[in-house]
Amino acid sequence: MTEPRGRIRFSGAGVTYPNGTVGMKDLDLEIEPGEFVVIVGSSGAGKSTLLRAINGLNRLTSGTVEVDGQAVAQREGRELRALRKRVGMIFQDFRLVKRLSVINNVLIGRLAHVPVWRALLGLWPQHDRDVALRALERVGIPEKAWVRASALSGGQQQRVGIARALAQEPAIILADEPVASLDPVTTHQIMRDLVRINRELGITTLVNLHFLDLAREYGQRIIGLRHGELVYDGSARTVTDEDFRDIYGRDFTEDDLLDEEAL
Amino acid sequence: MSTLQPGLQRRIGGATWATFIIAALFVWSMWAIGFSPERLGKLPAQMAEVLGFFWPVNMAYGWDRVLPAIIESIQIAWIGTIIAAVLSLPLALFGARTLFPKLARGVKLISATARAFPEILLAIYFVPIVGLGAFAGALAIGISSIGMLTKLGAEVVDSIDYGPVEAVEAAGGSRVLALRYAVLPQVLPEIIAHWLFRFELNIRASAVLGVVGAGGVGGVLLNTLRYRHFDKAAAVLVLTILIVLVIDLVSGEIRRRIIRG
Amino acid sequence: MAVSPVPDRPPRNWWLIGGVAAFLLAMTGWSAEGIGFSLIELMCNIGGGGRLLAESWPPDFAFLPRLAEPFMETLNIAIVGTVIGGILSLPVAVLAARNLTLGRIVWFADRNFMNVLRTLPDLFWAMLFATAVGFGPVAGALALSVFTIAVISKLWSESLESIDMGLPEAVRAAGGTWLEMLKFGAVPQAMQHYVSYALYAFELNVRASMVLGLVGAGGIGMILETQRANFEYERVAMIILVVLVAVLIIEEISEAIRRRLT
Repeated sequence: MTEPRGRIRFSGAGVTYPNGTVGMKDLDLEIEPGEFVVIVGSSGAGKSTLLRAINGLNRLTSGTVEVDGQAVAQREGRELRALRKRVGMIFQDFRLVKRLSVINNVLIGRLAHVPVWRALLGLWPQHDRDVALRALERVGIPEKAWVRASALSGGQQQRVGIARALAQEPAIILADEPVASLDPVTTHQIMRDLVRINRELGITTLVNLHFLDLAREYGQRIIGLRHGELVYDGSARTVTDEDFRDIYGRDFTEDDLLDEEAL
Repeated sequence: MSTLQPGLQRRIGGATWATFIIAALFVWSMWAIGFSPERLGKLPAQMAEVLGFFWPVNMAYGWDRVLPAIIESIQIAWIGTIIAAVLSLPLALFGARTLFPKLARGVKLISATARAFPEILLAIYFVPIVGLGAFAGALAIGISSIGMLTKLGAEVVDSIDYGPVEAVEAAGGSRVLALRYAVLPQVLPEIIAHWLFRFELNIRASAVLGVVGAGGVGGVLLNTLRYRHFDKAAAVLVLTILIVLVIDLVSGEIRRRIIRG
Repeated sequence: MAVSPVPDRPPRNWWLIGGVAAFLLAMTGWSAEGIGFSLIELMCNIGGGGRLLAESWPPDFAFLPRLAEPFMETLNIAIVGTVIGGILSLPVAVLAARNLTLGRIVWFADRNFMNVLRTLPDLFWAMLFATAVGFGPVAGALALSVFTIAVISKLWSESLESIDMGLPEAVRAAGGTWLEMLKFGAVPQAMQHYVSYALYAFELNVRASMVLGLVGAGGIGMILETQRANFEYERVAMIILVVLVAVLIIEEISEAIRRRLT
């Protein structure tokens, strides 16, 4: 019986940028495998920094971050790539290769799983192609497999982004403001997809959001950041408007809510 | 006096100064090369006279001697462009500031040096090395084109969306794989269009190389003019214009299709 | 959730891919043979090349003073060519712009005229003018004028086609003539581009005028030819060095000017 994967631990972690700004300060955080965590905070609070520290896109300047007991390598190389293989990332701007087909974009998630020569020549083994197709099915758009990525709507493109992460068969999924560029209806669809994937596959999921009502609606655990420090760590069910105000350091406005009526 | 904003006024002042300087340089240069108004006056008559000699066009000579020479020019341009295209692709990737910040400086220097040489000067060197003929021309064109194609290629690579590159690396892909999957699909169409345009320009360059004995139709033209066989020279001009126009049209159309995807 | 079946992969257009590949291979093979491409030949003759380079080194710096005058002449040719060509390219470019021209026939004629000018390389024009007005820098200047018209009008007509037509239309509506529309409505919008293209043409012209002398059209090329014919490779190297440095300097100045404009 293999141990469930996807445990994350920050110990005294800190990130200070060369120009002096503090992105993360003394972070102690433990995330169990399979959790669905929403991270909130005003712009510049350190949400992205936290996420990107987990897959090494941001280097720590102090402390450590571990995934499944192994420290995240702080240098480019085979070790870091092996870690990234297990961590899928979803971006606010989707980051698909527009000229390639959807399926080829999803296959990018399999790059770490096949020998380099196969990847270079595009000779994907059947198994990997199946994984990619199943990932597309899981996000509900298998019929778009051979369509050019640029021909898809925003919501569909983000789904491809999710499929790409899923194709990695990851232990952790990091979603950096995945819905910020989408309209309200699509936003809810994507959030529901993320929750469903977390529930069905047990993948540890961390989502950065700046819409508070979404955080409350879809999150299990909510983490609040302010100026790079952890200021809130609690359940979505018990979080109050007061807590949000503490996290943001100000009264929240309708910009912080997806659905204006909820104000 | 003037109600214009200071910045605008400085701009206008600058423009007047510039025009004045240019006019001065122009007048000096005209005088220096002996282009007097008198000479200018004789011009139309001289042009008309020469134009007259160009008729009738000696098309027999055209098919016999000119066409093979033009074909040779096209072949020279083709090989030269292929050499340059193949060699400049990796250089363009390495010369992109956004991908390889440390290497890019060196590559920029190499490409600037290669660009500075007019092809014909290179040909002058290659002719004694590999002998008279088209091969020397192709090498000259190849080397000269590498410079321009590398610079243009690096600019294309610098201008791409870097997001997908990070996405590939976040998924565990190496730099090489990021190049293959995130960079190349974005840059290849534009780079190929540059290659095609370079081919169009190289045909003109290779036509000229014949003048120093590096093959192609330039030498033919030079000889016909030297011996004042204007009817034959006319054939050279007519065929050159026609063929280059056709190639430009076809190449231009292909370029448009490629960019559209 | 009902999921639509995964479609089959659309068939690749093998005809297109195969055709293109075949064409490229054939063209390359045919061309390589036509020009006598031979890596072996190249390898064998590298030695000869080495000798040639050795003979060219060190460049004959003593020869430098004699280059001053031809170099000036080269610059003169480039200046005259750029200015004359620059002025003449104004009407040619305007008439080639679909949104500003005087009717379809004029546009069509001008477009073709422009294309024909572009087809012949500058050295061809140089040879022609040398025949007409005699050898020397005047022929070179005229050749460069033609070349400049070709370069600037192609680029600038495209700029003109993409301007905002609101202002020119307003001038027309206020009763302005075609010329007034151009002067007040259209041209000022594209002036920055024009200057940029003119600078670019000047750069090209400086390079081109270096070699015009090879066909007797004046400038430093003429000395280059005589020295080369006499196998004075050290002097040839010196001339090439001067050419290189000059081109690089002019490029820098041109870049600086262009940066100040934007």
